Amino acid sequence: MPYFAGIDIGSTAIKVVLVDEADNLFASKTVATGSHFYGNAQAAFLSLLKESGLESGDIGFLTATGYGRKLYREADESVSEITANAMGAKKVGEAYGGIRTIINIGGQDSKAIQIDREGNVVNFAMNDKCAAGTGRFLDMAARNLELELDELGDYHFNLKGAPPVINSTCAVFAESEVIGLLASGYSKEEIVAGIHFSIAKRTVRLVKRIGLEDQIYFDGGPALNKGLVAAFEEELMRKLVIPDIPQITTAYGAAILAREAWQAEELAAEQH
Amino acid sequence: MSAEAQVKQIEMVRRQLSRESAEALNKIEKDFPDNPKSMDYFYDLYRRVHCEGEAPHGDKKVIGTTCVQVPEELIYAVGAVPVRLCNGSHTFDQLGAEFMPAKSCSLVKATLGMLSSEVASWLDQGGDIVNVTTCDQKTKAGRLMEEAGYRVHHLELPPSKESEAARTYWQSNVNGFARSLESVTGHKITRNGLRDAIVRVGRAQQAYRRLHRLRMSPLAPILGKDVFLVTNAYFFDDIDSWTDAVEVLNDEIERRCEEGFGAAQRRAPRILFTGSPPIFPNLKLPTLIEQSGAVIVADETCSANRMLYDVVNVDEWQLYDMVDALADRALKPCTCPIFVSDEDRKRRLLELARTFAVDGVVYQAFSGCQVFEMEQRSISRFLADEGIPSLYVETDYSPDDLGQLSTRIEAFIESLKARRRRK
Repeated sequence: MPYFAGIDIGSTAIKVVLVDEADNLFASKTVATGSHFYGNAQAAFLSLLKESGLESGDIGFLTATGYGRKLYREADESVSEITANAMGAKKVGEAYGGIRTIINIGGQDSKAIQIDREGNVVNFAMNDKCAAGTGRFLDMAARNLELELDELGDYHFNLKGAPPVINSTCAVFAESEVIGLLASGYSKEEIVAGIHFSIAKRTVRLVKRIGLEDQIYFDGGPALNKGLVAAFEEELMRKLVIPDIPQITTAYGAAILAREAWQAEELAAEQH
Repeated sequence: MSAEAQVKQIEMVRRQLSRESAEALNKIEKDFPDNPKSMDYFYDLYRRVHCEGEAPHGDKKVIGTTCVQVPEELIYAVGAVPVRLCNGSHTFDQLGAEFMPAKSCSLVKATLGMLSSEVASWLDQGGDIVNVTTCDQKTKAGRLMEEAGYRVHHLELPPSKESEAARTYWQSNVNGFARSLESVTGHKITRNGLRDAIVRVGRAQQAYRRLHRLRMSPLAPILGKDVFLVTNAYFFDDIDSWTDAVEVLNDEIERRCEEGFGAAQRRAPRILFTGSPPIFPNLKLPTLIEQSGAVIVADETCSANRMLYDVVNVDEWQLYDMVDALADRALKPCTCPIFVSDEDRKRRLLELARTFAVDGVVYQAFSGCQVFEMEQRSISRFLADEGIPSLYVETDYSPDDLGQLSTRIEAFIESLKARRRRK
């Protein structure tokens, strides 16, 4: 029985997912992207195979996605991360009663995607060419505050009072703005919450451009940050669907698309 | 800056420009298989003018124009040659950025960058430029051109085109412009001279329309990146050579249609391109679209369709009527977003989408082009109501958003393919 692989080579992390013929998640792995897209992706894929007791021959089809998708030569096919994200979110969202809107925050971009019942992309919007309101921005801010990324959530919830308004979500300007806030006496808790709200506000504007359906799915690495999730829920005034492993939705979608492509090819071969 | 340093700088700009143009041309020519043989005329033209710096039109009197709304027939009628200065070079864009506001659009920055650099020496300093007061940036750019030493004819355009007052106002401005042109070359506009010019431009338009119609074929016979190159060459090529070369290309494309030869895959999504004009070397977005497996079959931009489609309608071949007819042609059918109403543009887009059986629309806006940015919402909504998906892309001349753009373009094309499968 073949398995199918999806590799999502993002700007910050490489995600590999294996699924079986029924699209069940079989195994997954996340590693840092580093500067060697190709080598690190290949290593991650091979080590996931080994950990799962599989060999390359067990993989029926491999689909690459993400920023580095075209560099991964071993892939049978590449697909944009928007299409892959939509498919993955549709599959994961079934357990939550189906979802129609996806918010994804990645390492260097943020997206809002509207999908139909079958997981097809109906409409999408993406931030312009800057890292404003993305994972990279959180990264910079955490560094300026001398915090680890996974501490941000706790700091957010320890907030007493109202957070300051942070105007520029520009990753570069954030540095001077954060320093300015520290200098004017704001606590780390207040600044962290301020950052979360500024990202949420900015992204919600993006989502409103494509229209807002109920059941909103939030994924990408930053969805692990509970403080950010809370800020989004407050801005959107509703609960979000957060998957168990929010980072791998897109790789999961790519693996499902790999399975679909494989079946289509098998079918075509039979008919011949 | 010392004279020596200035010479050095000009040399550097020239080299950068040549490298940028060569790269873009290589991509357009070499990255695609099966280019029509007759495209060689155009590839060669760009190589000579953009990469090697050959001056277009030798020692003929050149008058620069900055807009499709300039009635170029008048320029031909006084014995001069119009050259459209609108520019797509990132090198010039960066030169313009040295003195233009950061939020102005790439097109205006690049045009002024070129004019201030002395690289475009074929348009001598003190030379004549016709600048139409369309958007605020172009209007004020006219003033900056004067500061750079050019003689600028400010052709005033009304902000709406429906009323009789607007029409009369525009016609009187065009008449005034015609008179001032006569003093530029000392050549009077005669009835015969203007009629010949109208016929000459008309012949070019007929050639373009034939190419346009051939692209309706269900199997796209030519890629959009090549058509943009062809229409863009109209900016600076000798008009009669251009027309002849397009007719040769048309014959080849017609044979392709008869033989059932497709320039793109049979099921490649068909794209209608609208918004800010793709101008060489900035064919970034069209090339990306076609590299991602779709094909541009029609456009609604002022560097192609909007420039060449609409013909002059003369009632009486008298001088006064011809000039008014030229003014009307420039104003009435124009779908530029600077006008108050966007109804004509919507109608035009819908008509193109339907007759060319397009799967989706790509809407390009140069960052800083407020009018295209502002019209986007209502156009996209209108298209959505008509069941036509569209993708809005805000970009500029710099290559640094290629990665992001390719994700967007590919996702859009994938969604168009999926949509087709569902039908």
